[in-house]
Amino acid sequence: MARTDATATRGESEPLLSIENLQTAFFTDKEVIRAVDGVSFDIERGETVGVVGESGSGKSVTARSIMGLVDSPGRVLEGSSIRFDGEELTDKSEKEYRSIRGGDIAMVFQDPLTSLNPVYTVGNQIKESLRLHQDMRGAEATEEAIDLLEAVGIPDAARRVNEYPHEFSGGMRQRAVIAMALACDPELLICDEPTTALDVTIQAQILELLDDIQEERDLAIMFITHDMGVIAEISDRVNVMYAGEIVETAPVEELFANPRHPYTEGLLNSIPGNQPGADRLETIEGDVPTPNEPATYCRFEPRCPKAFEECTRVHPEPVAVTDGADDHTAACLLYPEDVSEAEAVELHERRGDGEEVTDR
Amino acid sequence: MSRWQYFGKRLLLSVPVLVFGASITFLVIRAGPLDPVSAIIGPQGDPQAYNRIREQLGLNEPLWRQYIDYMVDLFTFQLGESWVVQPERDVYSLLASYAPRTIWLGFWSVLIAVFIGIPLGFYAGLNPNTFSDYLASFGGIVWRAMPNFWLAVILMSVLSQSQSLFGFSWQNWLYETNVTGPPPLPGDLVTLLTSPDHFFPALKKIAPAAIVLGSASMGNEMRIGRTAVLETVNSNFIETAKAKGVPPRSLVWKHIFRNALIPLVPIITGEAFLLIGGSVLVETVFNISGIGYLFFQGIQNGDMPLVGSLMFVFILLVVVINIVQDLLYTIIDPRVGYDGGA
Amino acid sequence: MSVTDDPEEATLLERIQDDPGPAMRWLAGALLLFALEAGAVVNFVTGLFGPGMELPTLLSRELIPNNGFQTPAGVWKETFLGLSPAVAWGIRVALVYVYAIVCTWWLWRGYLVFREHYRYADWTPRDDMIDRLRGHRWGQFGAVIVFAFVIMAMFAPALGPTTVERTIQDPYSYTVDYYDENGELANVTVGQANLGARSQGTPDQNVGVMQYDEYGRFHPFGTLPSGKDMFTFMAAGARVSLFIGLLSIGLSGFIAASFALLTAYYKGLVDLAVVITGDSIMSLPRLLFVMLLSVVLADTWIAGIYSGGLLLALIFAATGWPILWRAVRGPAFQIAEQEWIDAAKSFGQKPRITMQKHMAPYILGYLLVYSSMSLGGIIIGVAGLSFLGLGVSAPTPEWGRAIDIGQSYVTTTSWHISFIPGILIVLVVTAFNALGDGIRDAIDPQSEGGEGEGSEAVAAGGGGA
Repeated sequence: MARTDATATRGESEPLLSIENLQTAFFTDKEVIRAVDGVSFDIERGETVGVVGESGSGKSVTARSIMGLVDSPGRVLEGSSIRFDGEELTDKSEKEYRSIRGGDIAMVFQDPLTSLNPVYTVGNQIKESLRLHQDMRGAEATEEAIDLLEAVGIPDAARRVNEYPHEFSGGMRQRAVIAMALACDPELLICDEPTTALDVTIQAQILELLDDIQEERDLAIMFITHDMGVIAEISDRVNVMYAGEIVETAPVEELFANPRHPYTEGLLNSIPGNQPGADRLETIEGDVPTPNEPATYCRFEPRCPKAFEECTRVHPEPVAVTDGADDHTAACLLYPEDVSEAEAVELHERRGDGEEVTDR
Repeated sequence: MSRWQYFGKRLLLSVPVLVFGASITFLVIRAGPLDPVSAIIGPQGDPQAYNRIREQLGLNEPLWRQYIDYMVDLFTFQLGESWVVQPERDVYSLLASYAPRTIWLGFWSVLIAVFIGIPLGFYAGLNPNTFSDYLASFGGIVWRAMPNFWLAVILMSVLSQSQSLFGFSWQNWLYETNVTGPPPLPGDLVTLLTSPDHFFPALKKIAPAAIVLGSASMGNEMRIGRTAVLETVNSNFIETAKAKGVPPRSLVWKHIFRNALIPLVPIITGEAFLLIGGSVLVETVFNISGIGYLFFQGIQNGDMPLVGSLMFVFILLVVVINIVQDLLYTIIDPRVGYDGGA
Repeated sequence: MSVTDDPEEATLLERIQDDPGPAMRWLAGALLLFALEAGAVVNFVTGLFGPGMELPTLLSRELIPNNGFQTPAGVWKETFLGLSPAVAWGIRVALVYVYAIVCTWWLWRGYLVFREHYRYADWTPRDDMIDRLRGHRWGQFGAVIVFAFVIMAMFAPALGPTTVERTIQDPYSYTVDYYDENGELANVTVGQANLGARSQGTPDQNVGVMQYDEYGRFHPFGTLPSGKDMFTFMAAGARVSLFIGLLSIGLSGFIAASFALLTAYYKGLVDLAVVITGDSIMSLPRLLFVMLLSVVLADTWIAGIYSGGLLLALIFAATGWPILWRAVRGPAFQIAEQEWIDAAKSFGQKPRITMQKHMAPYILGYLLVYSSMSLGGIIIGVAGLSFLGLGVSAPTPEWGRAIDIGQSYVTTTSWHISFIPGILIVLVVTAFNALGDGIRDAIDPQSEGGEGEGSEAVAAGGGGA
């Protein structure tokens, strides 16, 4: 596939995390919800990949699918591939997965107050991680826990390690959660809206902290949020998700400078302050649909200002936006933009059918 | 405020509660319309004896004087004596002979309730919406609505007739006991605990009554335990723990149970209160001469001195249980006192 | 036309005047239903002042009598349409319930008419609550049983095969006709007939469930050891239980709500005082204290009303309000934190109005939930006391006393005496708990149940005796 070729030409090393055609669905009595419907992207070592989208776009489910935390009635479907550090995660047993969770891939959640167990001290919870993955116990573990707390910028760490979560302030708590996630020196840190519940000044501190940690430990970060401003600050590359699919991928400056997918354009335009001089705030009309049926059409079409007839008939695949722009892809029938409309639609159709396509 | 400060505050608060409770009892007994002396003497008492007894009971003093005497007596644990039920007998000696049976009953009831009800509730919470969950939940709900005296009556009758009904005699099973009557408790605790010949008959004797009392509370504990586990399982820190790679065993025992136990503490202690009241009914049906039964007899016979002292003992018990509950809270939940206590 | 132009300003009366059609139709139906039973209401009211006035009513026993006798030829006389007493009684019971259901449905229709035509708002949160109730199976089960129980209590005189006066209170003043063994029409006092119809545990001395006795009388629940009809006993007992339960819950609920609002509004010292008082009362072992009080006050005039029923209700209310108060305290405090309370205070709104208008509606729902759950506990408590002989005294019927009376017969053929009241208690208490569950899910679907100290206290106290 052209995709693999593109990856091979990008660099010698394999990406740390390679997701291909990830599909996660929830099977309830009433309906099937395809929360993640064919998502593919990579994360290189040491880079920060942002995943942005509205509520309901499938970002969190993607993260949980990577971690193997999808519980019934949902499951990761056949045909999905999650390759981490050369190993296929979907094949792993629950026990093997557990050693990866926390040890190689760690996750930080949204609400730090409820993310920590209220009846145990912070130190106890960090040491639990250390004991599970590095078999560290006793005084050695306590030392390490104190070091970690200091590394995330919590003052007076030696005293704090014996305190309970409710004795920490909001920002401190999130730092403690990050410390806990870093306890076993993971290679990939997944952050699911870690700053949404914090106020703006604390948010800035946490983002700075993540930046520092990334540099120190060569940590790859997958950062999920709905806040475009945060994405701009922290990501190297960005994936935009909508209704369970990735609709655009690009390096961060490129995305903000030249958004291609109409949805991304809409997102950027709706940031208050992006339209100085305008009378009203711009919005994207309508709501995110709940994807039930397999996508044989463009899911954004009902809300898209640039929709045309073919959009209801053909499913857009991720294609390079212009010839040769391999790192900027968009899943929209308007692209690649340097060919005619009819040719582009045909390209999407053929891609969707899975035929070999020569690079144009 | 630290946890122990909170505990101290609660401890302090129990003193006025105790005083208030004793005062209300005093009001009811002394200032109420019941005349304790006529109960003691009976309808044919002669006026001289009447006056003499009034003098002895201190009823001729002004009310406030009586009140002070009463409170002082209680708080120095001078409980007086019974005048009607067993005249001239010291309340302490009455307690010594009646109380152990109630304690034996209460002990096993609580045990049944806690060690069957809570695990059942936890099991239901960990496996929600399965058939066994529905069964257990439904059973708990119906059991909670059952009047314990009714269950006691049925159980007692069925067991008494077990020979003719089922062909197997409860009375003669394992150890020989009657269905009704007080449990045969030996004089001291050591004999009870170490000698099987004493322990098992006593246990068997008290078993039906304990099952009746315990099962009523069991339904409640099951239900609350189930809810507590369900809420805990769905909380965020459990997800964090899973994301850390915590194995399921540790997840359940370390993370879920400790948190689920917190809402159960007031239930367990609440049940202890119910035991104090419910024991009267069960003791009456099974003819166990415990202090509940003693209290009932005292009331029926108008033995006010006895009733007053017993009431104080009960109130004290309740206050102590409350303190135990606060102690448990302080130990189990570190957040106690943080957002405001009472 | 409308008096004012702004529809929001028009009062309910004006809105009805605007569009009288639906309201008038509903009113006509309501009047018709009421007229059917108006006689009973008149009888009840005039009965308070002396002998009741008798008017023809639909559901009275005069219209559908079931007390008759059977000729040797097998023909029933003096019963409704010559049917057997069992069937006649069954018809009357069915009619009572049909009437009750129709009345309830008509009231529901009235609410719908109001909602559609006369209410200003198109939708209120209450509509959502009612919708949730409609889908809640468990709550509906509770509501149905509670409804049946309340109707049984309300229509007790009409529901029993005989009346309380005839069989329980004054059996020697009434007579019954029957055909004796010789085939002759004989006449005997009800009291003597009762002696012959006793359930004493042996097969030849027993009138069980759904059986006739020797005098041609039908007993749906059998008879008591004294020969009195048990269904009449149970129906009248339902009245007493309901009365005591409702009165005590109403009183303690009112006290609890007032205190909750006061403490949430003023906090500080008021809160501390109520906490100490409430905790002290809660620390008294409730059942024991009720026992004590009922014995101590047994000779007063209050104890004479309803054979001690009123006294019991008052005692339960006095010992029960702290539990309810604890339960609604949580929600009340939460409401007091809301900004609109601050706003009301800041423009000088009187405290009483603030509490009534802005705070009370929110705790009402929780009050309902916890009240219905404690009601079960009170019913069990009253039954327990009567079982011991301390509660409602004879001759007023009470379920607990029936259990006491039937104690010795549990394993005999007369098992029905103790068994039926117990089963009914379990059913009714479970139903009240289910109703409380249903209401709670309706007002607050997020809560899985059992949050805060309040509900635990109530749940603990609302169960056993």
